[in-house]
Amino acid sequence: MENQKSKIKNQKLFITGAQVAVQACIDAGAQMMYGYPITPGTEVFTGWIEAQKNYLQTEDEIAAGFAVCGAVIAGQKAFTATAGPGHTLMQDGFSMAEGMRLPFVEIIAQRGGPSSGTVIYSQQEVILACLGGNGEGMRIVYSPANLDEVYELTRHTFNNAWKYRFPSILLTDGYMLKTRGIVDFSKFANLKNVDSYPLIKEGEAKHWRNIYTFEEELYDELQNQKKDFEQVRNEIAVAEEFETADAEVLLIAHGLVASACKQAVGELKLQGKKIGLWRPITLRPMDVKSLNKTVAKVKQVLIVESSLGQLARLIKDELDPELKVKITYLQKPAMGIEVEEIVDRINNIL
Amino acid sequence: MLKILLAGDGGQGLQLISNIICESAFNKDLEVSHIPNYGLEQRGGVSLAFIKIDDKPIVYPKFSVADLLLILSDQSRQRVEQYNKKETMVLDVKDFKNILAENKIIPQSYNIFFLGMILKKLDEQNLVDMEYAKKYLENKLSNKFGWEENLRAFELGSGE
Amino acid sequence: MNKINNSKTEPAKFCPGCGHPIVLMMLNKVLTDLGLQKQAILGLDIGCSLLAWNYLPINTFQTHHGRVTSTMVGYKRAKPEAIVVGYTGDGGAYAIGLQNLVHAVKRDEPIIILVVNNTVYAMTGGQTAPTTLKNQKTSTSPDGVENDPFLGIELLKTVAHPQAFLARTAVNDPKTCQEYLKKAIATQQAGHFSAIEFLSMCPTNWKTKGVDTIKFLDNMKTVFKLGEK
Repeated sequence: MENQKSKIKNQKLFITGAQVAVQACIDAGAQMMYGYPITPGTEVFTGWIEAQKNYLQTEDEIAAGFAVCGAVIAGQKAFTATAGPGHTLMQDGFSMAEGMRLPFVEIIAQRGGPSSGTVIYSQQEVILACLGGNGEGMRIVYSPANLDEVYELTRHTFNNAWKYRFPSILLTDGYMLKTRGIVDFSKFANLKNVDSYPLIKEGEAKHWRNIYTFEEELYDELQNQKKDFEQVRNEIAVAEEFETADAEVLLIAHGLVASACKQAVGELKLQGKKIGLWRPITLRPMDVKSLNKTVAKVKQVLIVESSLGQLARLIKDELDPELKVKITYLQKPAMGIEVEEIVDRINNIL
Repeated sequence: MLKILLAGDGGQGLQLISNIICESAFNKDLEVSHIPNYGLEQRGGVSLAFIKIDDKPIVYPKFSVADLLLILSDQSRQRVEQYNKKETMVLDVKDFKNILAENKIIPQSYNIFFLGMILKKLDEQNLVDMEYAKKYLENKLSNKFGWEENLRAFELGSGE
Repeated sequence: MNKINNSKTEPAKFCPGCGHPIVLMMLNKVLTDLGLQKQAILGLDIGCSLLAWNYLPINTFQTHHGRVTSTMVGYKRAKPEAIVVGYTGDGGAYAIGLQNLVHAVKRDEPIIILVVNNTVYAMTGGQTAPTTLKNQKTSTSPDGVENDPFLGIELLKTVAHPQAFLARTAVNDPKTCQEYLKKAIATQQAGHFSAIEFLSMCPTNWKTKGVDTIKFLDNMKTVFKLGEK
C-alpha cells in the first residue's frame, strides 16, 4: 500500500518513539503486556495491541504490576508501560520484583509531576525509577537519548532483566515517545535475546518468601543482592564521554536533554570552546568509573535536566568525594531545554 | 537545516499537513524529525507541530526559533510568540483573509491552502518533490468529504 | 442565570456534545435552588472530570484518578456540615477506584458520588472501561469487548445501608437528574451515602454525529437500567 511504502525507504522507517519501543519489545521476544491507559504512555499499549500481541488492560496500575510479577515467575516475558501517577502506583509491584529478584520490565514515559502534573514531558521520575518503593534501588535503569537508543536500550532492558534478575526500566519521556524520526532497523539485526525461563518449576516444591522473620535474614539477603548488583555494574554500567578529551567545562545530562546538550557542544566547539558532555546511559547502576575519570579532568560541571535536581542528586551521590570541582545547575522541571539555552548558559560561564 | 513550526487549534488539520510535509521530505532521502504538542482537552486546544528537515542526522527535535512559522488561529498565535523572531518567515491566516475570502476557500481547507504554500517553498529549495507531495495528499484525502474544496485550496496555495 | 454564573468561572473545555456540562449545570442548579452553593465542595477525578475544576461557582478541587471517593471521605469527616460531592467517570469509579468506592458504601460514608458513564476512558482517547458495552470496539479491545459491562450501582447496592440512595439516570432526562440530585443531597443531610450514575455522551470517542449520539445513549439504557435501586 502506498502509505506503508512511503514510510519505508531502504530499511529506514519514519516512526514515533512509541512505535520504536513497541517494535523493540516485539523483537525482544516479549510475550505479554499488562497495561492501563495513561498519557503519554498509552501509545505503547495500543501499539502493542495493534501488532496483535497478547495483552490485558487491568483495572489499575497496581493490578498491572502484580500481574507482570506473576507472569515472570511463571517464566513469561511480560512487561508493562506507565507514566507519572501510574508510575507511583507501579512501585508496589515493582518493589516486590526488587525484593524477589524478578525480571520485571517496564517502560516509563516521564511526564510533569508531582501529582497529575502535566501529560506531556519531564525528567522528574528519575528518583522514582532509580530509588522508588521501599527498597534500596537495586534496579537497572536505562535512559535513551534518541530513537535508536529507545530501540537498543529496550532490547538491553529485557536481556539484562532476565540475565541478572533485577527489575529493569526503560526510562524515557513524553517528548521522546511522540517524536517521529528516521530509524534504520537494519542496524540492530545482530542483537540477540536472553531467553526467559520459569522461576518456579513444576514439581520443585519451591518455597519463596519476600518477608523475613528476623532482621538478620533480610540483612543477609540484601548483602547478597548488593554483591550481585555490583557485579551488574561492572558488566553493564555504561556512559558516553562526548568531546571530553580537552574539556574544561563538562555538561552532565541524560535522555533527550543530553541530545540537546550534544548539539550545543557541537556548536560551541566550532567556536573553540573547551566543552564536553558526560552522559549516563545506565542511570542505575551508574558507570561511576567513567564519571569520576571524566570529572577529574575538568574545572566545572553543569548538570542539565528537566527536573529540580533529580539527576544532580544521583551524580553527587556517586561522585568521588575527593574530587574538587565546581558544580552548577541548569534545571527546568517539566519543560524541554533547548540547544540555545544551553549554549547561552555555557557562554556565560566561559 | 530548516525549522518549521505549525500552530493552530486542535481539529484544524495541523497534524495531517505536518505528516505530508514530513513524508515528502523523507521521500527525498532527507533527515526529518517531527514532534507534536497538545494540551489536555480532546477538542479545541492549541495544537503545535515542530518539524526539522536537514541533510545531517537530527540530534534534537525541538527548537527555540522557527525559520518558517504557520499560524492558523488566534488562540495559537499567542502560544507561539516566543518562536517568532526577526529571522522567522511567518504565514499568518489573518494576513490571508482577503485572498481566502475572494477565492471562497472554506475554513476547513485553510490547512490545505497553507500546505500548498509551504510545499511550494520547500520544492523551490529542493527539499520535497511537489509531484510526490501532491500524490500523497490525494491518497490521504481524495476519498474523504470535501476533496474538491481541498484541491482548490491546495492549488491556490501552491500557485498552480 | 445570575445565580449560576459569576465572573470567576471559565468557559468549559468539554468537547461539543459531551454530557459532562449537563450534569454539572444540573448540580449547580439544584445547589442554587436549595441555597447550598456556599456549603458545597466538589472533588474531581482525573479524566474528563478534571475539566470541571474552574467551571462552577462553587469550591472545587481535583484529586487523583480513582481517588476522589477516599478524598471526599476525608473532607466530610473533617467538615461534617459541608455538602460533599465527588465527581468521577466510569473508569475512576468502577476500575481503579472501585475498591475505595465499595468500602465507602459499606461504611455508609455520608457523601455523594456522581458517576458520569460514557462507556470509555475518554480523555486518554477512548480505551475500554468497565462499562464498555459487549461487542463495543475500542483501541484496547479492537475485536470488541467480550464480556458484559459492569453494573456499578447494582454492585454497590449489595453493601449499602437501607437508607443510602443509589440510582441511575441519563443526561437527556434533566427532570430526573434534578430529582435524583435533590434526593442525594437530602440523603447526605440525613447522614447516608448516595451515588448517582448518569448515562452520558461522548461523540468524540464514540465517533458519532448528531442523532447517532442520542441513539447510542438510548441503547445504553437497555443495558444500564434506569431508576432508583
